[in-house]
Amino acid sequence: MTKPLSQLAAVLALAAGVLSVPVTAQGEPVRVAEFVADCQLSHRLPDDPIVLPGLAGASHFHDFFGNHSTNAHSTQQSLEGKTGNCNPVSDISSYWVPTMYRDNTAITPTGITFYYLGEGVNNPAAIQPTPYGLKIVAGNARATGDHDSIARWSCLHAGHVNPSKNFVVCPAGTMLETYLDFPQCWDGRNLDSADHKSHMSYPVAGGCPSSHPVPVPKLRMVLRYPVNGSTAGLRLSSGTGQTMHGDFFNVWPRAEMERRVRNCINVVMKCDHAGNHG
Amino acid sequence: MLLLAGVLLSACRQEPPPPSSPPNGYGATERAFVELAIATDEQALKLVELAGRPELVENRRAELVALRKLLDAPYVNHHAGHDMPGMPTDAEIQLASTSPDALKQFVHAHLTEQLEVLRSAASAITHPPTAEVAELMERHRTAELAAG
Repeated sequence: MTKPLSQLAAVLALAAGVLSVPVTAQGEPVRVAEFVADCQLSHRLPDDPIVLPGLAGASHFHDFFGNHSTNAHSTQQSLEGKTGNCNPVSDISSYWVPTMYRDNTAITPTGITFYYLGEGVNNPAAIQPTPYGLKIVAGNARATGDHDSIARWSCLHAGHVNPSKNFVVCPAGTMLETYLDFPQCWDGRNLDSADHKSHMSYPVAGGCPSSHPVPVPKLRMVLRYPVNGSTAGLRLSSGTGQTMHGDFFNVWPRAEMERRVRNCINVVMKCDHAGNHG
Repeated sequence: MLLLAGVLLSACRQEPPPPSSPPNGYGATERAFVELAIATDEQALKLVELAGRPELVENRRAELVALRKLLDAPYVNHHAGHDMPGMPTDAEIQLASTSPDALKQFVHAHLTEQLEVLRSAASAITHPPTAEVAELMERHRTAELAAG
């Protein structure tokens, strides 16, 4: 249980200063199928438009990145045309994760990167743009241990610390980071499903299974938290580190998504934030 | 192969509408509410059984029976172990079992927090049988809070 909702519902309208660092591709292009969105915390709410649609205040707390308007009532239509805080600004998708706490103090991730990758399937040329309005949930909010978790926690700048499915102790001067790979094979029909999972699948042996035949870019979320040292008192609003999960509601403008898939993913090129490669 | 690619591409561009329910049907919001309310009530039952207030136990049990009747698929607890409004955690229940002050505080928090969720749900639920159960739950909590 939590504190009174009136307190909890206070939205943290954090500064949405979007970094606009012009990136100039120079030299040889890098042959990695990738485009990227770097985002910031937009707000916190006890809402979940995918798992608890319409039920404001009914969820555990989430950190929302990207689209500033996301709440329990969000739909493709409501998100469309709003602004977000990602670089590129054209990505107004919604992304959210459970809030991290040390005891009862919320911890804001300071590095929030969404990679869209061509890896995981053998034929990146066949990858299709992520359908507009697609909802994807990754990770297991109900994980009870390592056996049913795909979470991955490690330390930035401390590669000698073995990754774990639960929080790891990071040395002073380093940061706790987490990786989460979203399923990248779509059933070709449904933007969501009753369990919010069965319309998507992970690839099998380098290809998408016949039940989910449409490969889309693999979304990899990388979060960095200003946390090191003891993991005592560290928790997510969903429980232990093993319960780390991520939600994605795609509202990339169609043309921006299509251009990046064509220019970066299909031809296996590393693109900058603007979706261009050298 | 080109034809297949064309079919897939057009499938992507067709943008099937998000799953929606028929008007006043048992849709995504109703399903989410029922599953959440069952998870919350089951956990709350463990707390209110400690409270020496039989009406709370009876009310939670009656709600669970009514909620389970609304399910259209086998029940899955999506919220176990989570820090949900109105849902006492295992640690809170453990503490309540040894501290009367904590018990009173957590029972009050369960009622007030879940009442807020129920009021929010009331404005979102359109399926009449689900709305009826939500109203029953709201009446129960209002009366339970008034009783102490």
